[in-house]
Amino acid sequence: MRGRPLLYTSYASDMGLFNTGAKKAAFAVLMALGLTTPFLLADVELQLLALACATAIGAIGLNLVTGYAGQVSLGHAFFIAVGAYTAAAISGDPESRTLGFGIDNMLIWLPAAGIAAGLAGVIVAPLATRLRGLYLAIVTLGLVFVGEYILTEWDALTGGPGIGRQAASPALFGYHLDETDVFMTRDQKLYLLMFTLLVVFGLAGRNLARSRVGRAFSAIRDRDIAAGVIGVNLPRYKTIAFAVSSFFAGIAGALIYTISGRFDPGQFGLLLSVQFIAMILIGGAGTITGAVLGAFFLTLLPRFTRELPGLVPFIGGQATDTPNVFQLETVLYGVLIIIFLIFEPRGLFGIWVRIRNYWKAWPFSY
Amino acid sequence: MKRLGTITTVTVLVLSGALAGCRGADNNTGGGGSAAAVPGVTSEPCPQAVDKTKGCIYLGTISDLTEGPFKALAVPITESQKAFWARVNKNGGIGKYEVDVTTYVKDNKYKADVHNQVYQEIKGKVLALAQTLGSPTTAAIIDDLRKEKIVAVPASWTSAWAFQDVILESGANYCVESMNAMDYAKEKYSPTSVMAVHYPGDYGADAAAGVKYAAEKLGMKFTAVQTGTGAETQAAAIQAILTQKPSLVIVTTGPAETAAIVGGTAARGFTGRFIGTSPTWNPGLITSPAKDALIGLYEQSAPWNSWATDSPGHKAMREALSSIDVPNDGYTAGWVWSYPLKAALQKAVEANQLTRDGLLNAAKSLTTVDYEGMLPSGAGNYAGGADGGQFRMTAIYKPDAAGPTKVSQVKDLFVGPTAKDFKLTQPCFQSL
Repeated sequence: MRGRPLLYTSYASDMGLFNTGAKKAAFAVLMALGLTTPFLLADVELQLLALACATAIGAIGLNLVTGYAGQVSLGHAFFIAVGAYTAAAISGDPESRTLGFGIDNMLIWLPAAGIAAGLAGVIVAPLATRLRGLYLAIVTLGLVFVGEYILTEWDALTGGPGIGRQAASPALFGYHLDETDVFMTRDQKLYLLMFTLLVVFGLAGRNLARSRVGRAFSAIRDRDIAAGVIGVNLPRYKTIAFAVSSFFAGIAGALIYTISGRFDPGQFGLLLSVQFIAMILIGGAGTITGAVLGAFFLTLLPRFTRELPGLVPFIGGQATDTPNVFQLETVLYGVLIIIFLIFEPRGLFGIWVRIRNYWKAWPFSY
Repeated sequence: MKRLGTITTVTVLVLSGALAGCRGADNNTGGGGSAAAVPGVTSEPCPQAVDKTKGCIYLGTISDLTEGPFKALAVPITESQKAFWARVNKNGGIGKYEVDVTTYVKDNKYKADVHNQVYQEIKGKVLALAQTLGSPTTAAIIDDLRKEKIVAVPASWTSAWAFQDVILESGANYCVESMNAMDYAKEKYSPTSVMAVHYPGDYGADAAAGVKYAAEKLGMKFTAVQTGTGAETQAAAIQAILTQKPSLVIVTTGPAETAAIVGGTAARGFTGRFIGTSPTWNPGLITSPAKDALIGLYEQSAPWNSWATDSPGHKAMREALSSIDVPNDGYTAGWVWSYPLKAALQKAVEANQLTRDGLLNAAKSLTTVDYEGMLPSGAGNYAGGADGGQFRMTAIYKPDAAGPTKVSQVKDLFVGPTAKDFKLTQPCFQSL
């Protein structure tokens, strides 16, 4: 079938992970770019990119439940918190004032964080099977408040609000991935770790989405009654959606805070959930690439706004000026969500699709 | 649709441009750093230099400037510090250098991860931090500060700072401040029981730990109620005060919460005394509905004397900030906090050791700092260790509509017997 890249002769090749040559090539280029980045960029940027990679894993998780399966969840911050605290407790120093078991091998604490959050997701899932739409959103919203209360009160685990605790420390069989050594700096290692994990979880998410489970998710999203009628087991697939999404959130929670090294319970409020919703809306709901794009976009955005006073003269760099860069940073999230919902509902991924189609037909684009 | 082609081209160009800003160009964050290039010190003049022949020392500021809970204080603190260093420059700078605190001002939104991010952005470009606001936020960067030997001025009074060499704190911490408040109350009101109404964390719990220690020493019955932010969420604290009827309440919350607690209990017949730590007061409270209760029952403890005090330092501050419409003690705090860093910079420059290493050594070896009378001589002893170097004086203020910051002094800076004998062996909030 040479020369006819879009002609498929079997379902397997149609549904393949990389079903076109262009996708294979693009993936190879992105991998090469991702792996050479730590030797090109400075540590500050690498740390930010590492954060974006870890955040992207969480965004993929939310996109699986909200974008693919259509179950609006505002409770993502809660699952991220479960993952973050499970990992921090397992890897924490037993001598410190907060709960810790001193197991810093990340092959143990990372899956544990995912599983703990996944179990929390399974517990919540029965709600999702009974409710939908706005009602589900409100119930998952309640989850965030309950979680916030527990974390605020449970000082032995969280260190207490306003004080916080050390995050999990990534190590593989005694080799610390968060310490500078002769081979690489801390930020280079963390970036490579997060990038590798993003590739692993991104592929896992995409695999799930293109499988039988993913098709069931889409059927539920498009019309749950119709999905039930054609034989999709609604409670089962909604449970799977919540469990997998929470698993991703747990992994992301465990990883995000290893980068800054410290976190306190005040961080897991509604705002965090809203930020993740913003990521998938701006990136593109219902696509893995979109979630990754959105996570990168929103993580890197504050960095770019902070550079603005040097480029745009009327934006002040001092807190007493109006308008100043700090105000801009604050309102930009909201403005972007509105702009994207009105002008590009398919998000950054939609823009990418349009660009792709333009070049596919070039020079006969119209 | 032609635009899509342009968009693609522009994106490719921007991306390649971003990658061109490559590793090595500004990779001086590794720590080693040769003597030739000290981060944050240049031989070129500052952007707003008074004397263009002098070099420039860049200091970073990370504060809560937009949406965090302390922005009402953080903006004055930041403005006051700009005025402080502008005055230092006008008076001849630090040796061959002037100081810039306006180029690297960042907003932490009072979030630890944002704090760490903006710190990473500026740390290669500044010699030290003129302000790092908040303790959970500063805790996120403290390991890196220690590793990179970056001296930092905190904007909080937690007792944890006494245990960090890189932190140049000023004034008595919350823990010692509440001990002094207790001694003062014991002398004036002879209370038999005390209740600490406090925020969780290094601010509220630090003060409550001090109250607990003092209550044991003074033989008072101690109870504590933890409360959250928001005037409307104080019902539980009010109820606890009304049912347990302590004769003294030590409050460590924000101003709005304090007004709700004092006003709410007084309205239902409570007549015990309230003393709040310095952040519980805001000049706006003097016109609030709770003003009568506050004037009748409330006093404020403070780590130094307020805006209108007659001392050379206070006078210089009022002159430098003469354009301010509404003074508040955020300005006073920002100004006082800056003296130790100025002293350390001067010492480092005199020893010809203007590097991060040299500055840290200078800071660690300071035995006294000239606060121009804003704190008495003997304050600013960083060589004395956590306990020995601890400054232990507190002043007491009461609400007064006539004062510029709506307070007037009840008792000048003093050390009570409890605080005097207290041994600081670990951050107080850990022992509550």
